[in-house]
Amino acid sequence: MNVLITGASGGLGRAFVNECVKREDTVIATDINQHGLVGIQQGVEHRFGKQIYTYPCDITSPASMNSFMNYLLEKSLKVDMLLNVAGLDYEGSFMKRDFCETNNIIQLNILGTLRMTYEILSTRDKTKPFYIINVSSLAAEQPIPLKATYAASKRFLLDFSYALAEEMKREKVHVLALCPGGLATKDSVIKAIKAQGFFGKITTCHMETMVHRTINQALKGKRKYIPGFFNKFTTFFGKFLPIPLITKILYKRWFFAQSTWLDQ
Amino acid sequence: MKTVLITGATSGIGLEVAKECVKNGYRVIGIGRSIEKNNTAINLLKETSEFSEIKYYNADLLEVEAVKSVAKEIACFIEAECNGQLYGLINNAGCVRSWFQTNSSGYEHQFALNHLASVMLTHQLLPYLIKGAGRIIMTSSKSHKLMKIHWKDIMFEKGYRPLMVYKQSKLCNLLFAYVINDRYISQGIKAYAVDPGLVNTRIGLKNTKGLVNKVWNIRRKLGVSPSIPAKTYIWILNQKDHPNSLYYFQSAPRKHSKEVNKNNSDRLLYLSEKLLNIKFGGKL
Repeated sequence: MNVLITGASGGLGRAFVNECVKREDTVIATDINQHGLVGIQQGVEHRFGKQIYTYPCDITSPASMNSFMNYLLEKSLKVDMLLNVAGLDYEGSFMKRDFCETNNIIQLNILGTLRMTYEILSTRDKTKPFYIINVSSLAAEQPIPLKATYAASKRFLLDFSYALAEEMKREKVHVLALCPGGLATKDSVIKAIKAQGFFGKITTCHMETMVHRTINQALKGKRKYIPGFFNKFTTFFGKFLPIPLITKILYKRWFFAQSTWLDQ
Repeated sequence: MKTVLITGATSGIGLEVAKECVKNGYRVIGIGRSIEKNNTAINLLKETSEFSEIKYYNADLLEVEAVKSVAKEIACFIEAECNGQLYGLINNAGCVRSWFQTNSSGYEHQFALNHLASVMLTHQLLPYLIKGAGRIIMTSSKSHKLMKIHWKDIMFEKGYRPLMVYKQSKLCNLLFAYVINDRYISQGIKAYAVDPGLVNTRIGLKNTKGLVNKVWNIRRKLGVSPSIPAKTYIWILNQKDHPNSLYYFQSAPRKHSKEVNKNNSDRLLYLSEKLLNIKFGGKL
């Protein structure tokens, strides 16, 4: 299977690359960070003795996307599975962030993902089943004050995934939305997890096992995967609470957490 | 003046070893992860002795490429300033993690820093060590006992167990010292592993969560000051001839696990060579 992974040089991207290589898939890795792509490419080569395709691409730029699509065409690579991992977040309240940053979230998490999905779907091999995994978030399940744009962008991906899955199921296209809690991918996230205390700990997902299960779930044709019992539990019961109450609770939780780690 | 290179030399055991080295008249090269902390360490060391020669390098040893490039810089320095001779290499930098985290090559953090970084650094500096008839000292730990190398999944991708990964990395340190002796003793260098005992350092507090963090915080208070294990390192360095044993605790030989044998050490070296894309020579 040919798997295309965006955001492949981030922590989660790398985990997906390794998982797919272990499954003997052909991996095409893209990221805006060229240096990181070289790192993971060498890692895979030395560890598994396998080659992966890498191509640096800024999925928020149509020109960059164009040259990436040409690259796929040149190598005559048809993608069978698309992992939309690329995404970003800035912490803090809406008015305290530069608007540029808010714009970046939308450009990458939403527009970039849609652009990639559209391009890849239109060039796919229509005789074969096709799989899409969109990395949404646990934050997609409810509005989150102080992470408003990020949570809403992830909500967009969740709803979009559900709808697209239904739209295209007759064409053998399966779409899975992955909704993980915290993932210990870099120091800043770890600080954030620590600052959340008990909730940070309990909502954090084990990335190494999660990536394996995520791909299994996608291949089974599932539409949503929330890793972790506690996360499934809160998501389910959260549906019974009125949204103003949820936002109030979440505001308190994030206000407290962010005040401990952003001021450090 | 003999030269000693110490990794993780800005705090904990590494800093104390650096102090002892300066006191004993060695030239100290340190590697640390932050320029600020490096500067603090340099100032501290300069207070120890006025005749000190100290040089610090800034590198994040988690990354394979960073180890390579800092090794290159240090090699230049050794060639220019130290007659091309390196007398001591203290592979001390280490970390503890609560979660599965990877470096940019996709290698797990504890394995990458505690083991792979020291393999790479040693490999790059071997010619200078041989020229200096040097000694390599690994910071290992008693916790390597009762542990076996998890060959099937050495980076614990199928369920991360932080403590197991740490213990395994400390077993790796011993295996690496073993294999170096096996291959290079005829060329006049020798490798050692030191068990520092329980030491009051912050290693278990950096980037860890809940239980690991709390247990470490309680446990470390029972530990001795890092200046105590530092004496073992300096004892090994100060002996006229290479001390015989492999594994030391409080300046005396200690028994290590039976897992530390030729078979395992060769296998681990082979795997590490593959992961780092390097090749050790020596007698096979």
